[in-house]
Amino acid sequence: MKIRITIFLSLFIAVSLLFIGASKKMQVPTPIAFIIPKGFPKPATNIFAKNKLTEEGFLLGKKLFYDARLSKDGEVSCASCHQQFAAFATYDHDLSHGVFNSFSNRNAPALINLAWMKEWHWDGGINHLENQPLSPLSATNEMGEKLDTVLMKIKADTSYRRMFKLAFGDANITSERMLKAITQFVGSLVSANSKYDKVKRGEDKFILPEEKGYEIFKANCNTCHIEPLFTDNSFRNNGITLNRFKDVGRQGISLDNKDSLKFKVPTLRNVGLTLPYMHDGQLKVLDKVIAHYTSLDTALKNLDPLLKRKLILTDKEKKQLEMFLYTLTDTSFTKNKRYAL
Amino acid sequence: MNKHFLLWGIIFCSINCSGQKKIALYFENIANGKKIVLNDCVYSNIFGEKYTITKLKYYVSNICFVTKAVSEIDKKVYLIDASKGDSIVKRVGRKIKGISFLLGVDSALNCSGAQSGTLDPLNDMFWTWNNGYIMFKLEGKSDTSKADKNRIEQHIGGYKGAYKTMRKIFIPIDEKYFMNKNSLTIQLNLDEYWKGINEIRIAENPVIAAPGVLAKKAADNFTKIFSIKN
Repeated sequence: MKIRITIFLSLFIAVSLLFIGASKKMQVPTPIAFIIPKGFPKPATNIFAKNKLTEEGFLLGKKLFYDARLSKDGEVSCASCHQQFAAFATYDHDLSHGVFNSFSNRNAPALINLAWMKEWHWDGGINHLENQPLSPLSATNEMGEKLDTVLMKIKADTSYRRMFKLAFGDANITSERMLKAITQFVGSLVSANSKYDKVKRGEDKFILPEEKGYEIFKANCNTCHIEPLFTDNSFRNNGITLNRFKDVGRQGISLDNKDSLKFKVPTLRNVGLTLPYMHDGQLKVLDKVIAHYTSLDTALKNLDPLLKRKLILTDKEKKQLEMFLYTLTDTSFTKNKRYAL
Repeated sequence: MNKHFLLWGIIFCSINCSGQKKIALYFENIANGKKIVLNDCVYSNIFGEKYTITKLKYYVSNICFVTKAVSEIDKKVYLIDASKGDSIVKRVGRKIKGISFLLGVDSALNCSGAQSGTLDPLNDMFWTWNNGYIMFKLEGKSDTSKADKNRIEQHIGGYKGAYKTMRKIFIPIDEKYFMNKNSLTIQLNLDEYWKGINEIRIAENPVIAAPGVLAKKAADNFTKIFSIKN
């Protein structure tokens, strides 16, 4: 009798274990929290509201981000122009390379704290982060591939089928899911651990030139490059004149003449790594950017009103400002293995 | 194919208990008084400009049979494609006054991120560089077009402020229309596109492919483009 009970019991336990095992295989994606760093404002809109952030979704997004096969010639991935060591900008390239050795018309912006933006791209032409990948995927001087072909390539890869199933519950591969997965990855790229942040949290101290530079910054730069995001996400004409591509910036989207040559105020976080600068990368190094603002022709038509006041800095002050800007470099971001392939 | 049989199946199951009746709604596209045949047929607009049509697609949303009481709005977005012949199943009650719908996609849906079904960017009705849906897309050829390969590309879109291109359409319907009918066909008359309220000449504007003044001008013509086929 006892033996029988023991057999029954062990059978029961074995079956239960098997059942638990099976249900684990069908387990729902693991939710992950989007953490707002201390001192950061709450994003105006929650980009993950209808796209629940999960570990599996994030990993799928990362795989897509690093996959050059999605491009027409198989050579260009999102990461080609958004390199982690350059805070997800293109290091030392004014313009980025697209498929078949083409060139883009603009400097690839760094992918930092995208979740706090409301419009993306230099001209704000992207109205939702989920739509953004459609633009580089299809642009002939970027990844140059048709959306249906991109999906065909993904569907042909069994590892993708497995990952879509893990992230979304079934292996159905759609453009919506692909875009949502990429959004989970790029929207999670948060940089908030530079020396500046450590100083703010009382974990570190500025050296004197950095401290002086911070004062100069606060007196002259932070109306547009507002802390702690170091951008107000507005579009402004900062005195860069019409370039060879006749790029009018925001005006092309808003169709308003007043927006001529306005471009998005970029974040200054990791600015020491995102060279060259401005929407077409025409300023190669950081001191050239500071020199641009101190030698600006304030009579320029359509120049942002905030720049009408002449910025006067001594050479020493310029250096101090530069020293401060380097404190915005966040190596825990650029070396974060979680963001790496 | 199966889907079609299913549709028809539902339609023939007609009248239900609430006095409502299921009907099939069709969109038919005509030009010069004839049903549009893609690629081969030559049409002529009011200015005598001859053209052929290779593509005609547009969004229809917020369909509502207007009655004296509160009318139910169908929030689904339909993509009408002249190369296909789908019907939409609708339910109509008694005492209807007309049908209203939006030609295009409302503002909220234009900035809702990645979407599926008719709003999937795979339908080639979404602008990737200046986000927003193309509400109405007409492509073809005309000798009067000075654009590359004599093409006509009328991509009408834009959802913001003064440049929005979606238009609310209302067509009155006789109260007794569905007494002995199980379907309704709405006709889009392309002749009205070229000269409804505003003039759109192929010679002048063979290509409209961005939101703006021109797209708005074209969209104003949408308000007179639809009628009920008798």
